[in-house]
Amino acid sequence: MQTSLFADAIFWVLAALAVFSGWRVFRTDSMVRASFFLLASFIAVGAIMLLLAAVYLGLAMLFMMAVEMMVMALFMVMFMMNPAGLNPMVMVHQHRLSIVAGGLAFAVLGALALFVEFPDRPLPAGLDPVASLGREMLGDSMLVFESAGIVLLATMIGVVVMSSHRGRFGAADQGSLPPGLEPGGVPAGPQPDAEGSGGHHHHCH
Amino acid sequence: MMAWAAMVLTFLALAVGGYAVAVADRLIAGACGWPHQGNAWLAPLARGAWLYRQDANVTEAPDRPAWRLAPALYLALAALGLALVPWSPTLVVADLATGVVLWGSLEALATVAIFLHGWSANAPLALIGGYRYVALGLSYILVSMFVLIGVVLPAESLKFSQVVAAQEELWNVVRQPLGLPLFLIVGLGLTFWGPLNLADSTDLAGGTASEVSGPPRLVWEIARVAMLVAFSGIAATAFLGGWLGPWLPGPLWLALKMLAVLLALAWLGRVLPRLAPERCVTLMWVVLLPLSFVDLIWAGLEAL
Amino acid sequence: MAVSWLGRLAARAPVPVYPLLGIGGERALYPLALAGRVTRVDSPRHASVLLVAGHVPVHHHEALKRVHDQLPRPFATLWFRSQPLPGLENARRVDDPATLTDELVALHRELQTGQRGSSPRLLPDEPPNPWEGLGDDGHGGEGMMGGTPYGRPMAMNMQDDIRDGLTLDSLTFRLGPFYPLLPPGLAAEITLQGDVIQSWTNQSPAYPRALDAVFQTARERPVAIAELELARARHHLRHLYRALRLAGLEGLGLKALRLARELTPASHLDGLRRQLTRAGFFRLAALDGGALDAETARRLGGPAARAAGIDTDRRSDDAHYRRLGFRPALGRGGDTRARWHQKLAEIEQSLALAGRAVDEGDLTTVGPGGLETPCGPWRERPAQDAGGCLEALLPGMEWDSALATIASLDLAEGSASPPPGEAHAEEPQ
Repeated sequence: MQTSLFADAIFWVLAALAVFSGWRVFRTDSMVRASFFLLASFIAVGAIMLLLAAVYLGLAMLFMMAVEMMVMALFMVMFMMNPAGLNPMVMVHQHRLSIVAGGLAFAVLGALALFVEFPDRPLPAGLDPVASLGREMLGDSMLVFESAGIVLLATMIGVVVMSSHRGRFGAADQGSLPPGLEPGGVPAGPQPDAEGSGGHHHHCH
Repeated sequence: MMAWAAMVLTFLALAVGGYAVAVADRLIAGACGWPHQGNAWLAPLARGAWLYRQDANVTEAPDRPAWRLAPALYLALAALGLALVPWSPTLVVADLATGVVLWGSLEALATVAIFLHGWSANAPLALIGGYRYVALGLSYILVSMFVLIGVVLPAESLKFSQVVAAQEELWNVVRQPLGLPLFLIVGLGLTFWGPLNLADSTDLAGGTASEVSGPPRLVWEIARVAMLVAFSGIAATAFLGGWLGPWLPGPLWLALKMLAVLLALAWLGRVLPRLAPERCVTLMWVVLLPLSFVDLIWAGLEAL
Repeated sequence: MAVSWLGRLAARAPVPVYPLLGIGGERALYPLALAGRVTRVDSPRHASVLLVAGHVPVHHHEALKRVHDQLPRPFATLWFRSQPLPGLENARRVDDPATLTDELVALHRELQTGQRGSSPRLLPDEPPNPWEGLGDDGHGGEGMMGGTPYGRPMAMNMQDDIRDGLTLDSLTFRLGPFYPLLPPGLAAEITLQGDVIQSWTNQSPAYPRALDAVFQTARERPVAIAELELARARHHLRHLYRALRLAGLEGLGLKALRLARELTPASHLDGLRRQLTRAGFFRLAALDGGALDAETARRLGGPAARAAGIDTDRRSDDAHYRRLGFRPALGRGGDTRARWHQKLAEIEQSLALAGRAVDEGDLTTVGPGGLETPCGPWRERPAQDAGGCLEALLPGMEWDSALATIASLDLAEGSASPPPGEAHAEEPQ
């Protein structure tokens, strides 16, 4: 297999970028920065996959991770009690456990890389990776992929419908209540009144 | 050699197209009742010179690297997007086998750039602008990808050059009548322009750009028009037959089609009010997403 | 050389102006909006010239200084009927609205060609609050964070969301008194979750807004109904401009301003109304919500009350108005959209009344007595808390709709006499 010096250089740069930004994820002091350093790391890995002729998978990595990290950053900022995520905070916790787990994972993966004999099978000349991937995914496994896709899409639409202001049981700001489990019974689900009186646990300080 | 020529052409298109958007926007504004603001051909350049000479301000404790890099990143994404557009069967910077997928990734990465631009200023209004774009961006990306998949079906390829070649007999704008209107509406959202400018909007005093001045703001504004140009390039390629056309050379045809799309977007930007964000979510999920499914089914049936 | 070449080019740019409106400053705004060569910007960061229009009370000088220092260098200030702050002796002052645009353009040119230095900073450049985080990174408290770095407490006091039960991190900040999309003088402390307003606490009321002098005269002696009604229509059209600008329809807003400038009893609103409908102002823009309850609507009075269907209009008491066939136009619902339908209807009504009054031989009002100003019945003492209704009205609304609601209400209590600052400003200095 012929590799040009240029491709080698790009590989090393991308690999260094992936490792560096992966390291920064844990050293930075903001959740948003941590997410986007992780994204940078993933982008570098995606680009390496492009170098490996995985044209579709490399790009899929880009757009999946871009949306994923964006959503992750947003949700962390929204729910993590840190105004806009701009206050500094430490990104690591449970140090001992993390060190042990990280060390173990590194040892296992490193050992794999060093001791496993990788097959040397150059690509056949006329292979079109995108088309063959498509045949793989939409050939025998069509049913699995298509049903998973439709389930995911239905989930997305369902989440948006449920979180929208105009809810299933009326507008959200007008105290929408689900119907009772038996006709005329108490509304299903948690009772707003009970929650109102027991709501002190929200006030930590 | 062709790739270099295409690269020169792409940068030229970014510069000329961006300038054309700025001029056209001013001319349209003049026609819509704005007072005369001086020479519309000179004003964008003069404004650029003013921004270049202005100080880049700082806010209290911003995330400086991200704040300064976000405009550049957005500009780079726009340039990458335009690099996918084929100017003729051979004149193209990067005719990837997965060009359409790369455009989808650029849309997703643009969300990151816009969010970072708003978030890193460390100011409430800019932050709300960033939030808003992220909340809406997903729906834009979904609709735009479904519409583009519809275009890919008759071409049987994710290559933009194949998409154009498949329109030899009939342009997609006729073959899939829902496609271009959907794509243009979503394009207003992706480039947060005019009625769908919810990220840099008036009610937020400029949104993600509300705290930026000087050269970084200049780069941001250039990046915004560049993204509009890149989007018009993709729209012209996917729906208006790209380089196809009689008499004139291919690249010129593409430039004319891009200009038409740009004019349409700039005009829409000046005559429609800004959509309420809540209404925008409803429009995207309740109207445009089902319509994009219809478009996809239409394309599928037609391809059978 | 290159710099001077760029500077000469930059000098030809439309001048970005940030208008900071004090008491009575709005009268500078309308001619400015219609003048060419000047663009109005909403963020001080985007401006080349700071225009301080009208008197700024002493208790807002600190806020004025903060806005002043936010402009990026090089910048200049222009004081329209206002006394420049100490420390800005070099600043230019004008009192004649006709020369305002020329002065702004000249200032911008002088800045860009180096004939004028940038305005000096008035405040020290330091964080408003000291670093008070615990530990190196502000994470020395319980869990992952602690202390109040730069005055931002960690948001451990999560409030339950008031709208859809999705509890998010809340963000509290202050806006005003010079935020251009709020009435001048109005400042508030706002808590948001996402872009839903959780709480709105007014910190200073909107400045009183000077009404047309004819309203002052009408309190003392009979005045021509045509004149009074045209002034009323002009007031509403200017109000419409502010709302249209917020809604992203500045072109139509400018049409409204032009109409206001050239208003005669023969003017009509049909063209503007048709364009508004066609552009989708009533359907697309954020006009949902903002419905006033009956009590608040009654307290605010004027078009806001009539849009909620409350039949209150002092003009009904005037025999000459009754002779012209006047009957209050009433709306339904009392929300933001209803208020704009109401305002448009009242502009048309005023124009029709003015036309009929002229036909009747320039009919005058009966005489001093109850007066209906454009923002409600005349009150001897302006109610100080017209903005108080916002605190109950806005929570639960999204940012866009909340600002549209504020824009649809006349929160600045109209005062027919020139406000104190105005008189002060017109004294020869």
